[in-house]
Amino acid sequence: MSLVRGVVSTLLGFSCATSMIAAESSSHIDFRRDIQPIFAQHCLSCHGSDDAEAGLRLTDYESITVALDSGTPAVLPHRSGESELIRRVMTGNLDQRMPPSGPGLSDDQIDRLRMWIDSGASWPSHWSLVPLENPPLPNASVNDSLWIRNAIDVFIVDKLRRHGLEPSPEADRRTLIRRLAFDLIGLPPHPDAVSAFVADASPDAYDRLVDRFLASPRYGERWARHWLDLVHYADTHGHDEDAIREHAWPYRDYVVKSFNDDTTYAQFIQEQIAGDVLFPDRIRGIVALGMLAAGPWDESSQMGIKDGTLDKEVARYLERDDMLSTVMNTFVSLTVHCARCHDHKFDPVSTEEYYRLQAVFAGIDRVDRPYDRDAETMRRRQHLLRMRSELAAGRFPVTESRGDELEHRVKAWEHRWHAVSSAWHVVNPEHVVCHADTVATVQTDGSVLFQADRPETDVYRITSQVKVGSVTGIRLDVLTDKSLPSQGPGRQENGNFHLNEFQLWVHEADGTKRQMMLTNPIADFSQEGASIEDAVDGDLGSAWGVYPRIGQRHSAVFALRKELTVRPGQHLTFVLSQEHGEGHLIGRLRISLTDEPQPKLEAWVPDSIQAILEVRMENRTVAQSLDLKRYLLQQEIESALARLPDPSRVYAIATDFEPQGNFVPARGSRVVHVLRRGDVSDPVRLAEPGTLSCVKGLDAEFRLEHPDNEAERRAALARWVSHDANSLTWRSIANRVWHYHFGHGIVRTPSDFGVNGSPPSHPELLDWLAATLRDGGGRLKDLHRLIVTSATYRQATRHHHNFAEIDPENHFLWRMNRRRLDAEQIRDALLRMSGHVDWTMGGAPARHFLAGKGIHITPSLDYLNFDVDHAAARRRSVYRFVFRTVPDPFMEALDCPDASQFTPRREASVTSLHALAMLNSQFVIRYCQHLAAALESQFVNVDDQIQELFLWAYGRLPATSEYAAVAQYTEEFGLANAVRVIVNSNEFMFVN
Amino acid sequence: MNCNRREWMMDAGGGFAGLALSALLAADAAAETDQNFSGLHHPAKVKRVVQLFMNGGVSPMDTFDPKPRLQALDGTRFDPGDGQKVESVTGSPGFKVLKSPFKFRQYGESGRWVSSVFPHVAGIVDDLTFLMSMTSKSNVHGLASYMQNTGFTLPGFPCLGAWISFALGRITDELPTFVVMPDAKGLPYNNQGNFSAGFLPAQHQGTMVKASAPNPIAHLRPPQQRTQISPASEQAGRRLLEQLNQRHLTANPGDSRLQARIESYQLAARMQLTAPQLFDLAAESEATQRAYGLEDAVTEDFGRRCLLARRMLEQGVRFVQVWSGPSGPSNNWDNHQDIDKELPYIARQVDQPIAALIRDLKSRGMLDDTLVIWTTEFGRMPFSQNTSGRDHNGGTFVTWLAGAGLKPGVAYGQSDEWGWKAVIPIWCYDLHATILHLMGVDHTRLTFKHNGIDRRLTDVHGHVIEDVLV
Repeated sequence: MSLVRGVVSTLLGFSCATSMIAAESSSHIDFRRDIQPIFAQHCLSCHGSDDAEAGLRLTDYESITVALDSGTPAVLPHRSGESELIRRVMTGNLDQRMPPSGPGLSDDQIDRLRMWIDSGASWPSHWSLVPLENPPLPNASVNDSLWIRNAIDVFIVDKLRRHGLEPSPEADRRTLIRRLAFDLIGLPPHPDAVSAFVADASPDAYDRLVDRFLASPRYGERWARHWLDLVHYADTHGHDEDAIREHAWPYRDYVVKSFNDDTTYAQFIQEQIAGDVLFPDRIRGIVALGMLAAGPWDESSQMGIKDGTLDKEVARYLERDDMLSTVMNTFVSLTVHCARCHDHKFDPVSTEEYYRLQAVFAGIDRVDRPYDRDAETMRRRQHLLRMRSELAAGRFPVTESRGDELEHRVKAWEHRWHAVSSAWHVVNPEHVVCHADTVATVQTDGSVLFQADRPETDVYRITSQVKVGSVTGIRLDVLTDKSLPSQGPGRQENGNFHLNEFQLWVHEADGTKRQMMLTNPIADFSQEGASIEDAVDGDLGSAWGVYPRIGQRHSAVFALRKELTVRPGQHLTFVLSQEHGEGHLIGRLRISLTDEPQPKLEAWVPDSIQAILEVRMENRTVAQSLDLKRYLLQQEIESALARLPDPSRVYAIATDFEPQGNFVPARGSRVVHVLRRGDVSDPVRLAEPGTLSCVKGLDAEFRLEHPDNEAERRAALARWVSHDANSLTWRSIANRVWHYHFGHGIVRTPSDFGVNGSPPSHPELLDWLAATLRDGGGRLKDLHRLIVTSATYRQATRHHHNFAEIDPENHFLWRMNRRRLDAEQIRDALLRMSGHVDWTMGGAPARHFLAGKGIHITPSLDYLNFDVDHAAARRRSVYRFVFRTVPDPFMEALDCPDASQFTPRREASVTSLHALAMLNSQFVIRYCQHLAAALESQFVNVDDQIQELFLWAYGRLPATSEYAAVAQYTEEFGLANAVRVIVNSNEFMFVN
Repeated sequence: MNCNRREWMMDAGGGFAGLALSALLAADAAAETDQNFSGLHHPAKVKRVVQLFMNGGVSPMDTFDPKPRLQALDGTRFDPGDGQKVESVTGSPGFKVLKSPFKFRQYGESGRWVSSVFPHVAGIVDDLTFLMSMTSKSNVHGLASYMQNTGFTLPGFPCLGAWISFALGRITDELPTFVVMPDAKGLPYNNQGNFSAGFLPAQHQGTMVKASAPNPIAHLRPPQQRTQISPASEQAGRRLLEQLNQRHLTANPGDSRLQARIESYQLAARMQLTAPQLFDLAAESEATQRAYGLEDAVTEDFGRRCLLARRMLEQGVRFVQVWSGPSGPSNNWDNHQDIDKELPYIARQVDQPIAALIRDLKSRGMLDDTLVIWTTEFGRMPFSQNTSGRDHNGGTFVTWLAGAGLKPGVAYGQSDEWGWKAVIPIWCYDLHATILHLMGVDHTRLTFKHNGIDRRLTDVHGHVIEDVLV
């Protein structure tokens, strides 16, 4: 509200102003209008910032006025006659003339260049990079002051008058409420609301309507959809193995909530780039990071391809390209991705700067990132994780450094450990059978090491005499060894093994062998889908594995179903079947036996700790005692963490995660190079993290305390983007909001504020909006209120022959734009009108398809046979499951983008396929039936039914002729068919 | 081309474009093109295209590009010399050279070499124009498929068919301009991403036709279970719609989109009548059906789609893309395990239908203004993996063309002695530039502004391959 009040008080001052401003002088040379297009079209391909033939760069004032390779500058300001540039474009010598091909510049172009040089060759900064200040309001005439409602209108009417145009009168109330409702909440107004608004005589009826829509949770759902378009959000990865992202949606919910809560824009920016760093104690700080992961992810390259290959490097650079483009396109409306291969031809973005931005994202990958859904668990987990990382860094957590409570705990634990571990006796292998190509050697610790050629599969048989009197349990240790790939314990390249079956056979006196059944298996770790139970389930198709925790020792214990009493000298054979293939074999193992009634795994400790425990307490060094404390503390932390409620997950970015195949975390920052022509095989030099230097008043250098810390890099970029002095950021968002309200931005290229983008139609208005937003607290609802309460927004969509001649595309807003409903508006309108909408907010996405087993990873999707009466169909479209490479044919026909690219503006194409989708999709037909049924149950008379239908669909009552035609059709073919005709009509499909 | 029309279609917010209605939905430039064949930038040789895309990466050294050197080196470690790094994206232990298990012979007057996996295509080589050393930036299916279809290795760019629809528009009002027929077993890698219109307006999107489904085109007719809809209700409904729209049009003058939308419903009604006729293959002679392999379970699916493609081209569809092979590790051209078994299996599905299509087009005179493109996303390695499979290789692969404006029976390009890399690299940019050139389009002038860049199908690259042009 504060913004609106501020404007009203500003308005009081101008009503007495009278003068009309004279038309702009046409003889004046405007660099942007008259000169820059000549350079862009004819010169920059050879004299840009990248290719500078003869040393000439036509990029800024300095470059054209310094001496070239030839020794003279191209331009001598105020002296066109002596300027080399003019000589070269005018010369008749075709070897020298510029541009070298084509007919050369026209006389008019050359004249303009001369006039420009003679007036000083001024080279003003590009409009979007000029520091943002709040511009003064133009003067307005008394006549216009009657039309003007707020400052926006002052800027608008000033421009209109300069172009011989006039504003349109205000639209009628029915039109206004329909326009506002579709715009702010994405839905048609309820017929009762239409009637009430039309009847409301109070002067603030409109303002109250605006406030009501902005306060509705439906507002956040509508405007989140715009944002999700910008960041190309979807629920699948895209690319060739298009897999489902089960946890993308928490980010979508964050966006909806942020709009509804009217989060300040600066915070919204910071959370999405570096929420984990800047707001470490807030849940939304994690969930917001979904933005950086919103785009497509190339699973084949990231997970399938080995590190160190060029294809993998390409994938990493492309991944970072998507992240940085998402940030820069969305927030600052610059197309920096152009600089991947060459310095930006038109905009002040160098290749060097592009790769500095790549380096900002050098430490992160896209993964399901865990987060806690309640603050207390989050606090507790963070505390434990901090302790863990302190321990890992070799520091003792402060809370544990004093008192001897820990000392006591260590003693108690050690006591227990000795009791358990002394109960295990290592088996000394006497005979080991394995594949002929493998060499098995017994080590001094009783373990067996398997080396040399590795077969695909194998069965190890280890036989030994037993020294104990009875056996109740077996322990199997799989051990690491330097000779094994990835240090083992497996022999597969990835360090893993698969133990399909583990068996114990007893040699009887008569020479036969008897199998002893094993039960209650426990392991310190099992990989997903390959648990320790699988090793004793009698099924050779399942197995125990330990991926990805390779390179470390693991243990498993098994109980004997029946205790075995051993005769002296009796032999046992342990059989380890490993049939998985591809060399998933154990590399080193040790077997122990126990006669304790209940075999326990608790005795498992790492070798280093075991060595300490075997030293008598009084003989231990200080360091050894400390190691023991640290170990116990680690165990306590891990089990406390394990007891916490399972975290939720959001598909976002992280620097650390469990590796999956060839997809491994950076855990720090990867090396990024400046690449020549974007070629990964042609690195030029290391790229330091940083940002663009073209934004005045902000430092492009990050000056980080720990430059290698990827989190600091992102935090620095977040601060740069969200800074008050970043003129791009504030102009960008003000323009986007304007774009969604009017169908066009003040800048018609909302994601390109560069030289190649459109210039603003109303630069002062854009600056006024941007500065007002920035200085007024950065809340978008204030900006919406300002815009939709303006007289400009409230204009009718009238036609005016003369004005259409002057300004056919309505750049100057002499009327409101008529707009076609977008895919979501159409779908949601049908849901709402039918009365079958489910207003549930958030959660896992609603699938509007039948998913079957696909050929490989992508499931097969059937949209056409999906039951549109399924509960999922009733959710608002923003909660729809967006499948990138298999889009919903109905939504696609209505120009709904597939989230492969950023979509700063929707298309509204007119095609016969669009017509067929609106006529024949199951959804449309069924919800027309529902709407008809609702009308029929609500009203007895066809008369009333049709009236209500018109109010819903058009916001007005039918004319007599319309009524007659619809009633007749209804009588003959039923109301459902009539509804179908109405929703296919232009009046429904367009908003005036 | 009427540039304003394109801009208008972009104009989502509703500026007055003030254009003649006929420019919006009537077959504008295309209709004119059709009569005088003038092309967009220069006279066209080709007005319609059928592209046969072999999904998975066809091995060149086992099909059209014999490498005797591999016979000699079979089983040895592959070493291209000069310290060149040899990589394999999915792993080829030992990099052991694998000779082709197939016999090659020369065919036709042109004497093109063809292996035993393509006995029928071997019979038509004199009609084909070979590009022997296509090369790709990527060795990964998704990226490489995007590259061959859109010229970029990223998702979200318009494919060749969409660009051609955008450049040349429709030939007929009654059918879609750009049709895609995926393999009955499933979609290719990237699913529908390969035939997306990207950032071009939605009307240039490939219309997916599921050739063997009961309803091959989505939304063409109302669902059958909705019994309230009858031919009578449809006819009366169209009249009522027209009436309501006319009234609205009168009340809201000066906005050509309103009239355009009215006409789009008239077009839709015509498409509802025309499209089903396409699928009535009983109209084809038994000999034709047999020639395309419709009586053989192996060739039936691809054969049906080739025959449908010809019918669509006849009826005025401008660009038809026919896919062989779904995504995934098998049933396609991605022969990692055992090329000896996997390649003949998939090749037999397409061999006879392809030969039938070329002969059919030729006998009907359609090859005089039709272009046939046979292509894939990359080739395969000269060394082995698994039993006797080959890994992906973007280094060199074969594409062939047939039809108007081309020198038949010639081959352009050269791969190295192992079929590992191209000696004369031909990029997708060159192929696309050549296709556009044949259709009267200068690839450097066909642009669409998106996200700050005047985008082209050929990015900043591409040379028309003059050597293969008549």
